[in-house]
Amino acid sequence: MARGVGIAARRDRAWGWHTVDPVRGRCGIPVLAGAGAVFGALVLWVSDSGRDADTTTTTFSGLVGGLYLLTGTVAHLRRPGRLGLRMVIVGIAWFAEDLQVSVHPVPHTAGLFLRSAASACLVHLLLAFPEGRLRARPERVLVGAVYLISLVLVPLGVPFYRSLTPNLLLVADHSRGQDALIDGVQVVFAVAVGVVLTRRWIVATPPARRVLAPVYGVGLVGSVASLLHPVLATPTAMDVNEVAHLATLALPVAFLAGALRVRLGRTAVADLLLALPRQPPAELRDLLARALGDPTLRIAYPRPDDAGRGAASASASASASASSGAGAGGAVGFVDADGRPLVPGPRDAVTPVRRGPRVVAALLHDPALRADHHVLHAVTAAAALELDNQRLAAEVRAQLAEVRASRVRIVAAADEQRRRLERDLHDGAQQQVVTTSLVLRLARDRLGPEPSDPELGALLRRAADGLDTALTELRELARGIHPAVLTEAGLLPALRALAARSAYPVRVVDVPALPALPDRVAATAYFVAAEAVTNAAKHAHAGEIHVHARVHGDRLLVTVADDGVGGADLDAGTGLLGLRDRVAALDGTLAVHSTPGTGTSVHADLPLEGP
Amino acid sequence: MTAAATATQNASAAGATRVVLADDSALFRTALADLLERNGCAVLAQAGDADGLLDAVERCRPDVAVVDIRMPPAQRLEGLRAAVLLRRRHPGTGTLLLSQHLEVAHLDDLVGDSARGVGYLLKDRVSGPDFVDAVRRVAAGGCAFDPEIVPLLAGGGGRRRRDELAALSARERQVLALMAQGRSNTAIAGELHLTTRTVETHVRSIFQRLALPDETEHNRRVLAVLTYLRSV
Repeated sequence: MARGVGIAARRDRAWGWHTVDPVRGRCGIPVLAGAGAVFGALVLWVSDSGRDADTTTTTFSGLVGGLYLLTGTVAHLRRPGRLGLRMVIVGIAWFAEDLQVSVHPVPHTAGLFLRSAASACLVHLLLAFPEGRLRARPERVLVGAVYLISLVLVPLGVPFYRSLTPNLLLVADHSRGQDALIDGVQVVFAVAVGVVLTRRWIVATPPARRVLAPVYGVGLVGSVASLLHPVLATPTAMDVNEVAHLATLALPVAFLAGALRVRLGRTAVADLLLALPRQPPAELRDLLARALGDPTLRIAYPRPDDAGRGAASASASASASASSGAGAGGAVGFVDADGRPLVPGPRDAVTPVRRGPRVVAALLHDPALRADHHVLHAVTAAAALELDNQRLAAEVRAQLAEVRASRVRIVAAADEQRRRLERDLHDGAQQQVVTTSLVLRLARDRLGPEPSDPELGALLRRAADGLDTALTELRELARGIHPAVLTEAGLLPALRALAARSAYPVRVVDVPALPALPDRVAATAYFVAAEAVTNAAKHAHAGEIHVHARVHGDRLLVTVADDGVGGADLDAGTGLLGLRDRVAALDGTLAVHSTPGTGTSVHADLPLEGP
Repeated sequence: MTAAATATQNASAAGATRVVLADDSALFRTALADLLERNGCAVLAQAGDADGLLDAVERCRPDVAVVDIRMPPAQRLEGLRAAVLLRRRHPGTGTLLLSQHLEVAHLDDLVGDSARGVGYLLKDRVSGPDFVDAVRRVAAGGCAFDPEIVPLLAGGGGRRRRDELAALSARERQVLALMAQGRSNTAIAGELHLTTRTVETHVRSIFQRLALPDETEHNRRVLAVLTYLRSV
């Protein structure tokens, strides 16, 4: 047996020599098929006289063999690989088997050597379908055994096989025993092949089944018909025989159809590639699941750097960043698209999706998909591109979010500083000066209206005047830093106060009361309005300045418009330029419309909910 | 407390203005109390926060409470809120609010719909010449508004306020502004270098143009000021 397997293996290698050229150059298989056709024609001519009309007519035999040659060639041209070669070989073996039908002793005797060749080649083709090569050791052993029997043991039995046409090499007649033995062996191998094929069907994914279906369908019909044929009554048996013949004819076409369906599977991958760049992340999974035919498919992403995530979540308190820093030291696991931890289940196969050296993601899928590895690899490669893009986009988004959050924090911190300064001025310096001024007043009162030292009275009055001036300046300074009324009463009263204090006629357009605004939004709106009013008063030579603040949807719109000379420019070094950054920090926009002669309007558009 | 008790006795004896002070700075309170006592007022109690103020007023029933707008705990508008509460609970007690800065919005809240016995002054004014007069006026049911609030009202006020005042001449508006500060006709005449009779003529004209009901002179003055300050 071991020796037999060795011979079969050597034979395989010899065929491998055949396949080198045919696979490399695309003409090899057609040439081989052409040679096979010539050989077939010869066989049909030689064996024509021995045909039995009920079983294998010349036309039927020629059609079957010719179909294998033709479909094998087409399969090879449409899908390079060994499948076409296997099919062409089955065609040639089919004709070789027919040699024994010849009534001439020489070709008949030669045909006896090859009388099981087609069956062996067909088993090989079946088990190697659709890739054209055997995948598992049991399959290789099975095919080896079939070759051993049909190409070694059967030929060895030729001298002991008597047939109707004289066997030139006949030594003794053990044909009855040989037939019984071969029938028995055929049953055993048919069962074994049936088991392998059934098992393959069970584990196959839907796309893989699509490929196998034509061959399995035709094969099943043919097998059932062949099994029923001998046990049925004559008229029915004839019909069943026709079915078996048709199935035999259809089998090569079924192989071709299956091979082409593999190509269709790859077309699905091409469709996937075309659809990918436009897919939102959530739909990627569905798309991959469809391409692979596995509805349970999940995409697992490597856990991103925890420190980065902690900072990205905006409210990064000291304790939060410390704890997330500790988390970054932990083992790297998988997360889903929403960042939730993802643990592969016991039944999940994990296929890493690589892009260069980096594992971009992993596909958690049904282990059966591995049987369909061509498509799995293609889908994985397509997904790698997209997932890497998504990862980069997510990284950029996270960084952007962090930068924006930090801008907002900077603005909020600056506001807080200003508020505190203003409060410190009011409650500290101003309070002290007021008290001092009052004490000075008491001192002056002691001196009386007619002081004995008039110079001292004058000095005290000058001191009091100085304190008054200091108080006025302190008050203006505090207001400039941060108007208290903004925090005390809100944006609209602050804008009204701004208008009231302006040396220019400024009108705050009446609006319904504004809702409570976040501090940073109110402060930004106020400072924009204050700066715009200052600019207009300084440069516009306007008759009147209008300030308009209103909430529209979830945005605060502030407009400062004048009827002055116009020609203002946001980029021309006004104080508004600095405010544009502040507005942008809140995800708002600042625009200046100014044409000479028609006045200037400044528009700030601020979202109420910050970034 | 002993001092306050003595003062109360003095006050009741002399019919002096009875005052409660509220400010979180003890230094300032002491100095202010000193000033008021020297000028014939009786400081009945001093408080450092809004609750202390409300208690003191409840207890002493003063003629006037002088209140700083910023007090503990938040140093925001505690004084204003306490003042509004006082004016509702004790209409007979005048309320004089002091602040480091003047805001129209706060004035609106403070005055409400009655300009009787109410005042709103910059804190600086305590060392000025008119402060004690202002305290007395508010104690007597008059009003005292800071001169600086007037241009704010004229400049940034709402439309309606401006429309009503549009009926007045420039001179009448000047007179009304001084009335809002709580000045008497004589004082206004001195300020504007007019005769008292001319000022009286302006005042009658203001009453007419603002279509104020025919009431006592005092009430009409208050109403005129109220119209001036409040019309929204």
